[in-house]
Amino acid sequence: MERSETISLNAWSGARPSDRAEVSPRIFAAMLVVSAGLSAALASWLPLQVSITTVFLFAGPHNWFELRYFLMRLPARFGRSRNFFAVAFAGIFVLTAAYLSMPALYYTNLWSGANWPDAIATWNTLLLLWLGALVILRGRQSSRRDWFWAVPVVFTVCALNWLAPQLFSLAIVYAHPLVALWFLDRHLRRTRPGWLRSYHSCLILLPLLIVGMLWQLSRTSSLADDNGLFWRITQHAGSDLLPNVSSHMLVSLHVFLEMLHYGVWIVALPLIGATGAIWKVRTIPLARRRGGFPKLIAAILILGLFMVALLWFGFSVNYPAMRDIYFAVAMAHVLAEAPFLLRMI
Amino acid sequence: MKRTVVLCAAVLLLAGSAVYSFGDIARPKDTPTPTKGKTVLFTSLTVKPDSNASEARLQISQSTLQSIVHEAGNLSSNESMTERLMHSSARTMMAGLFMFLAVSFAGVWFARSGQRRNHKTIAAALLIAMVFSLATVMVRANAGPPGYLRWQGLPQNLKAGKVTGGGVSIEIVPGDDSTINLIVPIRKVEKQDGE
Repeated sequence: MERSETISLNAWSGARPSDRAEVSPRIFAAMLVVSAGLSAALASWLPLQVSITTVFLFAGPHNWFELRYFLMRLPARFGRSRNFFAVAFAGIFVLTAAYLSMPALYYTNLWSGANWPDAIATWNTLLLLWLGALVILRGRQSSRRDWFWAVPVVFTVCALNWLAPQLFSLAIVYAHPLVALWFLDRHLRRTRPGWLRSYHSCLILLPLLIVGMLWQLSRTSSLADDNGLFWRITQHAGSDLLPNVSSHMLVSLHVFLEMLHYGVWIVALPLIGATGAIWKVRTIPLARRRGGFPKLIAAILILGLFMVALLWFGFSVNYPAMRDIYFAVAMAHVLAEAPFLLRMI
Repeated sequence: MKRTVVLCAAVLLLAGSAVYSFGDIARPKDTPTPTKGKTVLFTSLTVKPDSNASEARLQISQSTLQSIVHEAGNLSSNESMTERLMHSSARTMMAGLFMFLAVSFAGVWFARSGQRRNHKTIAAALLIAMVFSLATVMVRANAGPPGYLRWQGLPQNLKAGKVTGGGVSIEIVPGDDSTINLIVPIRKVEKQDGE
C-alpha cells in the first residue's frame, strides 16, 4: 500500500515546475470567476443551443482527459489496494453493463419497461452499496480512519432512493458535474496549496450563481420541446419529473454545471499539471515502471482519441441518437470517478 | 268528549290546509353538484396563436394519448398516475427495510465511536438529515412557483401572437358532453382608482 501510494504521488512530484503553466493565484481565480459567469450567462440565455454545442464539442475530449487522468492515478503496483481496485473495477463493469442493458432490453422489445422505477431503484441500490463497500475498503487502508459511518449513511440514502427512485437518478445527473470541483480541490491541496484559498473563495460564487439563475429563470416559460432532440434534452434535465418547474430553468442549470465539469477536466486540471504532459506516456506510472506497459498505455490513449473522433462523427451524422448512446455509455466514467476520488481523500 | 273531537277536527283541518298550501310551492331545485373530474395525467400545454389557421386544433402526441387512454382505463383506482408512481407498497417496504438497517447500523457506529467524537458526528448527522429532509420536502412537494403564474401572460401573449406554456392536468369528467374545456388559472388584477 505504502509503495503504491508513493508511486502514484511520485507522478505528482515528477511534474517539474517548468512543466506546469506559471499562473498566479489571482489569474487562476479570475479565470474561474469569468468562466463560471460566462457559463451561467450562456446557459441561461440559450440553454438548448448551448447544451447541444457543449456536448458536441467537449463531451468526448473531457472523457479522454478523464481516461488520461485515471491512468495516471492508477498505481504501478496495487499492493494492499488490490481488493479496493478489484471491487472498483468489478463495480464499474457490472453497473455499467446493467445500466446499458435496461434501455437495450426495452428497445429490443425483450422488456416492456414495466416496473421501470423498481429497476432504477434496484440499480441505484447496487450503486450505493458499491460506493459503501469502496468507502469501507478505503477506510481500512489506514488505522487512523474509522469510516464505518458510511454504512448507516448508505442505507439511509438507499431508503430515500426507494421512496423516489427516478428523482434520485435525477439527483445524480445534477450532482455528478460537481464531483469535478472536488477533484480540483484535492489536487490544489497537494500541488498548489497557495491557490486553495482563492479557489475556495471562488466556490462561494457557485451557490450565488445557482440561486441567481433559479431566481431569474423560475418564472420563465418552459422550453418548446417540440422536436425529438429538444424533448430529449428537457427530459434529461428532469422536466417530466418536475412538471411545475420551468424546463428552461432545469436545462440552464444542468448545462451550467456540465460546462463547469468540462472546464475543470479539460482546462483546470491540465493547467495545474494533474494529468501530466498529455503527450508523454512515461508520466503514467503503469508505463514508467520497470516491466510496465508503455505500448499498451499508448494504444489505450490512441484508441481513446479515435473514440473521440468517432463520437464527433456520430454527432455529425445523427446527433439525437448519438447523444442518447453517449449519455448511456458515459455512465462508466461517472462510476470511475468514485474510486479515484476516494483514493485522493 | 265532544270538545276533544272538535279540537282534533280543527287540528286536522289546519294540518290539511297547511299541506295543501305548501303543496303549491314549487319543489326546490336540486342544487347541481359540480361534476368532479379525475386527474389522470399532469403534462405541459402550450397555447400557440396561428394567424393562418382557420380552425382551432388540439394536438396531442401519440404517447400522451396512449397514457391518457391507459390511465382513463384505470379510473377505478383512487390514485392518480403521479400518486401511484410515488407510492408503491413494495418500494415503501424496501425504503422501510433500508431505514431499519440505517438506524441499526447507526446505533452500532455510535456504540463503537468515542464519546467526544459523537457530539460532532451527531451534529453532522443531524445537519445531513435536515438537508435531506428539506430536499425531500421540496422535491416531493414538486416545489416551484404556483402553476397559475405561467398563465398570467396568456391574454397579452395571445394579443401579441406569442406562445404561452405551462402545466396542465388532464381530467376525465363524467357525462357525455362532447365539448372539451380548457380552464386557465388567471388571477384578476383589480385596478385601483386613478390608475
